[in-house]
Amino acid sequence: MLTYVIRRLLLMIPTLIGMTLVLFVIMAASPGGVGASLRSAEGNMRPEQRREIEAYLKHRYGLDQPLYRQYLRWLNHVSPIGFKDVGPGWPASLPFGFKAVDLGESLQRRTSVLSLVEEALPVTLLLNVLSTPLIYVIAVTSGIYAARRRGAFMDMASGVTLIALWSLPVMCVGVLMLGYLANKDYWQSFPVGGLHDTVSDSMAFLPHWIGGHFQRGWLLDTLWHLVLPVVCLSYGGFAFLSKLMRAAMLENLAADFARTARAKGLKENVVVMRHVLRNSILPLITVGASVLPSLLGGALIVESIFSINGMGRLMIDAIFAKDQELVMSETYVIGIVSLLSLLVADLCYALADPRVSYE
Amino acid sequence: MSSAAASLPVPASAPQPPDATSSFPSRSWLHQVVAATFAGLGARLSLVWICFVGIVGVFAPMLANSHPFLIKIDGSWSSPMLQSFTPTDVTLLVGFVLTLVALRFRRISAAKRVAMVVGAIPITFLISYFTLHPPLTPTYEQYRKEARLGRVQWVLNAPVPYSPQDILTDEFSVDRPHPWAPDRTHWAGTNSFGSDITSHLIHACRIAMAIGFIASAIELVIGVVVGGLMGYFVGWVDLIGMRVVEVFSAIPTIYLLLAFVAVYGRDIYIIMIIIGVTGWVENARFVRAEFLKLRQQDFVYAAVASGLPLRSVIFRHILPNALAPLLVSTSFGVASAILYESTLSFLGLGIQIGEASWGQLLNEAVSNGGGFYWWLAIFPGVAVFFTVLAYNLVGEAVRDALDPKLQSRA
Repeated sequence: MLTYVIRRLLLMIPTLIGMTLVLFVIMAASPGGVGASLRSAEGNMRPEQRREIEAYLKHRYGLDQPLYRQYLRWLNHVSPIGFKDVGPGWPASLPFGFKAVDLGESLQRRTSVLSLVEEALPVTLLLNVLSTPLIYVIAVTSGIYAARRRGAFMDMASGVTLIALWSLPVMCVGVLMLGYLANKDYWQSFPVGGLHDTVSDSMAFLPHWIGGHFQRGWLLDTLWHLVLPVVCLSYGGFAFLSKLMRAAMLENLAADFARTARAKGLKENVVVMRHVLRNSILPLITVGASVLPSLLGGALIVESIFSINGMGRLMIDAIFAKDQELVMSETYVIGIVSLLSLLVADLCYALADPRVSYE
Repeated sequence: MSSAAASLPVPASAPQPPDATSSFPSRSWLHQVVAATFAGLGARLSLVWICFVGIVGVFAPMLANSHPFLIKIDGSWSSPMLQSFTPTDVTLLVGFVLTLVALRFRRISAAKRVAMVVGAIPITFLISYFTLHPPLTPTYEQYRKEARLGRVQWVLNAPVPYSPQDILTDEFSVDRPHPWAPDRTHWAGTNSFGSDITSHLIHACRIAMAIGFIASAIELVIGVVVGGLMGYFVGWVDLIGMRVVEVFSAIPTIYLLLAFVAVYGRDIYIIMIIIGVTGWVENARFVRAEFLKLRQQDFVYAAVASGLPLRSVIFRHILPNALAPLLVSTSFGVASAILYESTLSFLGLGIQIGEASWGQLLNEAVSNGGGFYWWLAIFPGVAVFFTVLAYNLVGEAVRDALDPKLQSRA
């Protein structure tokens, strides 16, 4: 298992290089090339500020050099292994080895991308970590339910409902929930946006009573803010997975091993729960690999609707400001996160199915 | 690889059209699939909705336009609507009529009919581009003003007498700021700029259909070429190709889209291309898998042995047999392209403000001041939802129609 993990981690490197190359090509082939963010922000920039950014970009990309060198130089900056301290020229005999990862500097916010990502990434991961188990629990339960009552009214109804839910755009649901559940003119029962109340810093951590008044505390306040975003993020995923679960259950309920289990006198509940269910979960774990990147993408829309300061919102802001440095480094980080989650999905597959062995 | 493997009778897993050498897959097989697909009620209703959206999109400038169709001012007749038509409007109308004609003419072969329609469209566009001169800066309120002055003797307006770009400057009053809730003149209300939502909804059909079809056509072409090459050549080509596929599927598509939009701008055609360029991975996977199954079959060896060029082997002999999973993924691809366009527009990064798009209306439903305008959320939301649902239902139906397991059970 350990060797497999190490091999997979090493295989991530070419994929990551490919991803960053795609991004770099997008940027380099754009009208104006890598330095275009200079010109686009020209109007509201002082001359010395402009010179400063020009010097920075020249140091980082070597704008006068051929494109492949520009890319290698950028790659060297963002990788943990490489030449240390690349100056404006091309490294001839510089020390090679482990070094600090330099994600660059946001041209618009004048801060390092690393600090921005450090703030935003945990928020996005929190949303995903909360939604993923929710999706799987609901999908497995409703899949079992539908498969056991195949052809019954509930099965048909849930089939139609699920494909409808799956087709329902996240932004529609988000806007409608925000409008009807959080607006002061309708049922204002949920917070409008953000992750915390403005006074949450002065709250105690756990909910408690103060002088007969209920105070919800920091934890409950955060959870309260998370309800709508997490619902938005999960419903599409569980609709997709429930359909998959139902199909897998139907196939396995008719399989030989299920018949054998019934024939030796096991109760139907035991057959379903112990024999059929275990085999039916496998395809759900396989597609987990494709659900995770789409969750990261969905988080972008959800964050934008509910004004949560995660990776998605950072990205949208960066794009509006044409902050290419931030766009590039953020996509790089998102790529690492999604590759790692793919690896986790594969490992879960091995854990769930004893026949799968990565040795 | 070896000739021994080739001589073994390999059971064909994909449905085999009997006439695989024609440029189109056998009609009878396709007819079977189409008939099986649209046997169910859900798929039929979906088809009706898709046709409805398509027709509304084609006739959008006639259904919602500030320029009257016929008007008599001071005794002289004119048709401002026809004068305001752009080359795109005319091309769509001509294309629609030609398609209807081509569907009626069964005597000519299908390939020729498709070629005629496809060939006529660019010619129409070129002719209308040089002959039509729509006003560059149209004044939308002109005819309403003249009607108020009593100069109009007779007028035939469009069913919705407002263009999406018409911001009702003549109906503006300080005590009634936009957006307006739906009423008898504005059936679906107005947005914060003051343009009519019904008109936006009608014109947005065109963008949704165009995005869906063109983006998924691009996806299809890239997917078929890349997937076909990977599946046919195996070895190094496959290895490199799969790494590219992996690269594109590891980045969440929306991030890739945003990076593209950030760099290349927000023109509608650019967005179509971008959605196509980011979404081909699924198609490539399917085509590769089919090609891997088919490449060692006898008919492929026969085609190679008779000295046919590579493109003929790949596109005329293998591809028609590998079409089945592509039908499914293209149907879902259209749905996701429409979804991506409205998501981009919703985020404020889609097509330019002022153009009609369902996603853009959704964006305006919740204002920064805390107001919620339900008509800006419900109407476009329902439109996007129904369209995406329709394509997904068709996709499911095609998948069921092609599934041999389900067929044997029935």
